Amino acid sequence: MRRALIAIAALAVALPAHAQSVEQRIAAYKHRVDLLEDQNAIEDLQATYGYYFDKGLWNQAASLFAPGGTFEYGQRGVYIGQAHIQRAMLLFGPQGLAAGHLNNHMLLQAVITVADDGLSAKARWQGMVMLSRPGQNGVWGVGVYENAYVRQKGVWKISKLHFYVTAETDYDAGWLKSAIPMQGPSALFPPDKPPTEVYRAFPGVYIPPFDYKHPVTGKSLSDIPEPPDDVVGRK
Amino acid sequence: MRVLLAAALVALASPVLAETPEQRLDALDKRITRLEDMNQVEKLQRVYGYFVDKGQWTQLSELFADDATLEIGGKGLFLGKKRVLEYMQTAFGKDGPKEGLLANHMQFQPVVDIAPDGKTAWVRSRAFVMSVGGWGLPLYEDEFTKQNGVWKFSRESGPFTMYTSWKGWGHDALNNTWPDKFDPPPDLPPTTVYLTYPAYWIVPFHYPNPVTGKPFPVEPVGAYQAPPGTPEQEASLKVGRLADGTQPIAQPPRD
Repeated sequence: MRRALIAIAALAVALPAHAQSVEQRIAAYKHRVDLLEDQNAIEDLQATYGYYFDKGLWNQAASLFAPGGTFEYGQRGVYIGQAHIQRAMLLFGPQGLAAGHLNNHMLLQAVITVADDGLSAKARWQGMVMLSRPGQNGVWGVGVYENAYVRQKGVWKISKLHFYVTAETDYDAGWLKSAIPMQGPSALFPPDKPPTEVYRAFPGVYIPPFDYKHPVTGKSLSDIPEPPDDVVGRK
Repeated sequence: MRVLLAAALVALASPVLAETPEQRLDALDKRITRLEDMNQVEKLQRVYGYFVDKGQWTQLSELFADDATLEIGGKGLFLGKKRVLEYMQTAFGKDGPKEGLLANHMQFQPVVDIAPDGKTAWVRSRAFVMSVGGWGLPLYEDEFTKQNGVWKFSRESGPFTMYTSWKGWGHDALNNTWPDKFDPPPDLPPTTVYLTYPAYWIVPFHYPNPVTGKPFPVEPVGAYQAPPGTPEQEASLKVGRLADGTQPIAQPPRD
């Protein structure tokens, strides 16, 4: 039904409003409202993921993923499917936030692009991170999410979550004195695939590829060159 | 567009049954377009932030209209898209992130408004800066223009609220930047001279109070390091920087 409407809507968009029949206009406007609602649903979905992840609600967080969905955090590798994702999250602490832990992953600055068929979407998010564990110094972190979503039977789910760590530092020391490297793949709960991209966190620099086109020029942003990195071996 | 607007207003004022389907659809189109425009303008501000984070100066400048203006901190006004690019590449280096440099400008808290004619928009929003230099809080009162169906920045105005080292605002703070603090020089002096924390300046709001519906004057507009009317405050308005061109690093107020 939705597909048929979209076809009508696509046809209608090409015509000026007053050259269209009332039915064509209603179909076109319904499609535009659908896309607005989809964007809001995705914003809510990702924000909800954040609230679950903060508090160690791994079972709830993992349930937001589509079957075959992927989870990739820093250089830990790729976990595929809800069961493996939930296990990967145990590397951040036990189910239910442990005493004295802080696992805040604040999500902001969403740039959400819903596909015109309303069945998939992509989004870039800014991730601010505040961590602590008993007996350890607090940690400030920051990174970028490049995520993908899929709509199945009317419900939006996460099909890909990829958090690129930009930097992590000791809360008291700051960037000039402390740069915490990312963790690699776990030996305890190994990932299904190695990291999709190899890069370093601060002091290294890396540009998580942009999923969206330039909003003014319409040009792709995929040809922006990555900065060289002697350690990683990127020229 | 004006005619459409008038039609929409007439439509709103009349009983629904008196409207033709075309009129109702025109009104609906206008409301949907406004929602889409709000999203697009919010997106521009966020995309700007991501470009700042990783130094995509060329792509950042392409978010601006040809005759747009840019004013950040106390640096002064830069006129035109080309000057926006020159500002970024001269002040912050060539395109791309630099090893050992972190300059995250995280964008949030937008208040978006679209003009009734759908051709101009405004955003009040803010960034939280997490950088190797420390912490910062710019505020934005930005204006956007829709040209040939595409939204662009027509004015970026990013006055600073507070900048401090990693030690934090309880320890030290930068009063503001100024036109010759770093290259390139601006085309015009700052539109307002003000000091940042521990002084403050209330950036005028582009929108009225959303509950009363009334705009309100923020008077007197100025910089305060002490309560208005006190000798300390009078003096603070005359003290911009030291004779050697540097600005004093102010101590925060103590109880």
